[in-house]
Amino acid sequence: MEIPYYDKERPDTGLYNGKAGIWLFLASEVMLFGALFSAYVLLRVGAEPGTWSMGLMNQWVGAFNTLILIASSATIVMAWVCLKLNDWKGFRKWKWATVIFAFTFLVVKWSYEWPAKFTHYDVTFVTEESASKVYTDVLGPEFSETQSKIWQERFDPLKKDQEKSPLAQVKLKDKPLDGHIVGYIDSDGVEHEVGAAWGIPFWSHAFAWRHDRKNIEKEKDKSIRYGEDGRPVYKEGHFRDTFRDKDIKAIIFVPAHGTWDREEKHAGSGAIKYAEAKHDAGHAHSEGHGHTITIAREDISRLSSYEPAHSTFFATYYTLTGLHALHVLGGILVMLYHLLPVSRRVYEKNPVQFTNRIEITGLFWHFVDLVWIFLFPILYLL
Amino acid sequence: MSDEHSPEYYKKKFIPLIYLVGGILIVGTIITFAADKMGIAERWGFVNAIIFAMSVAVVKASAVIYIFMHLKWDIKLKTISLTLGCTVIFFIGMMWLTVGSEIDSNKPGHSDNTWNHVTEPEPETAPETK
Repeated sequence: MEIPYYDKERPDTGLYNGKAGIWLFLASEVMLFGALFSAYVLLRVGAEPGTWSMGLMNQWVGAFNTLILIASSATIVMAWVCLKLNDWKGFRKWKWATVIFAFTFLVVKWSYEWPAKFTHYDVTFVTEESASKVYTDVLGPEFSETQSKIWQERFDPLKKDQEKSPLAQVKLKDKPLDGHIVGYIDSDGVEHEVGAAWGIPFWSHAFAWRHDRKNIEKEKDKSIRYGEDGRPVYKEGHFRDTFRDKDIKAIIFVPAHGTWDREEKHAGSGAIKYAEAKHDAGHAHSEGHGHTITIAREDISRLSSYEPAHSTFFATYYTLTGLHALHVLGGILVMLYHLLPVSRRVYEKNPVQFTNRIEITGLFWHFVDLVWIFLFPILYLL
Repeated sequence: MSDEHSPEYYKKKFIPLIYLVGGILIVGTIITFAADKMGIAERWGFVNAIIFAMSVAVVKASAVIYIFMHLKWDIKLKTISLTLGCTVIFFIGMMWLTVGSEIDSNKPGHSDNTWNHVTEPEPETAPETK
């Protein structure tokens, strides 16, 4: 049975039905993202000093992705114009360009930007003494002073005169040292390297989440089986592979980009790469020399990668950008459908119907672009 | 677009408009990014920096809605203009609920009790017994 399609504009709305539908859908989307923007503003305004770590955003990557989306917005209009001019080849060319731009956006986000955050860890310390031990004794007083300034830039990036920032009063133990975990030392003094999959260390919650879901015992109704201690029961030979559950006396840590001094006095080659750090961990390292340092477990009050659980900032960041990325993914799937042979048949049978479909897809895609136009300055710049 | 145009219109009028909007979007992005790198928040103040960045974003968004989403031609249609109008009113109201409540709590003479629930209560002293 063929579904009837009316490509004529209705006299009461002046629109064909599909277009009226997409505008109503976009209105509901504004309410969805509006609620999230609103929540973001409230959380941002109400955040305590030193808890909004937006200075960690990679602005260059954000700007690159903005330009990519802008380009895709222009190419999708060109695809629609080509159909209006009965140019099928031109339509396919511009549509493919849009898909490639959209795909590039997702690749940058999901294979670079997010994993880069999952490999970065923040360490805060139990006492001023333990913090001082790392910052001053191990890394040196010069490092401590520089790091302190860079730390303020993270939480108060718009404040150039850091001496006047209220964050200057925050205690040393609460100033997170950021970097990569490349290994750990167990209670027998044996060193272990930390494994990783797709650039995400095993300790990251992002990895643990995948690991957990596969290896947790399930009840008959497929719900999670909990042990007497109230924690999930794992299949034989498996366990929750996180920092808390391992036999760890100290972590082997590499102070990383942003934390390390930007004048490159210590790092030598500037930003320390993860692979380079792993290489260092495999060799004898003495405290204060080379790239790696050891931090005793008893000195650590909190250890967290830049995952959603890290802070309210990252929770809102992943929610907003994740929901936006899902919209991009949905758009790609629809656009790929329009490039299948079946679409050619629809076009040949009813060119107006197909052109209207492309216009509707375009309206959705422009909305995705609009959301990013506001997300970029809010999340990356301000 | 609700109005049908000739192929010549698309070639001579509409395609140049696409390039123009693309240019506005790119220039707007560069301006915002450069302004941030130049530290406008420090020079102009945080609130002014937000107003500036949001103004540029609104210009960019308007260009997208007006040309790419064909509002220039479709705004005369009641279905679209009413839907958009209601959405804008809803959005402004929603933003005001949060931002406005925060501003109200900071007015002189109005004590902010937003975070009172997380502070430790004062220990009550036991009544003296005779």
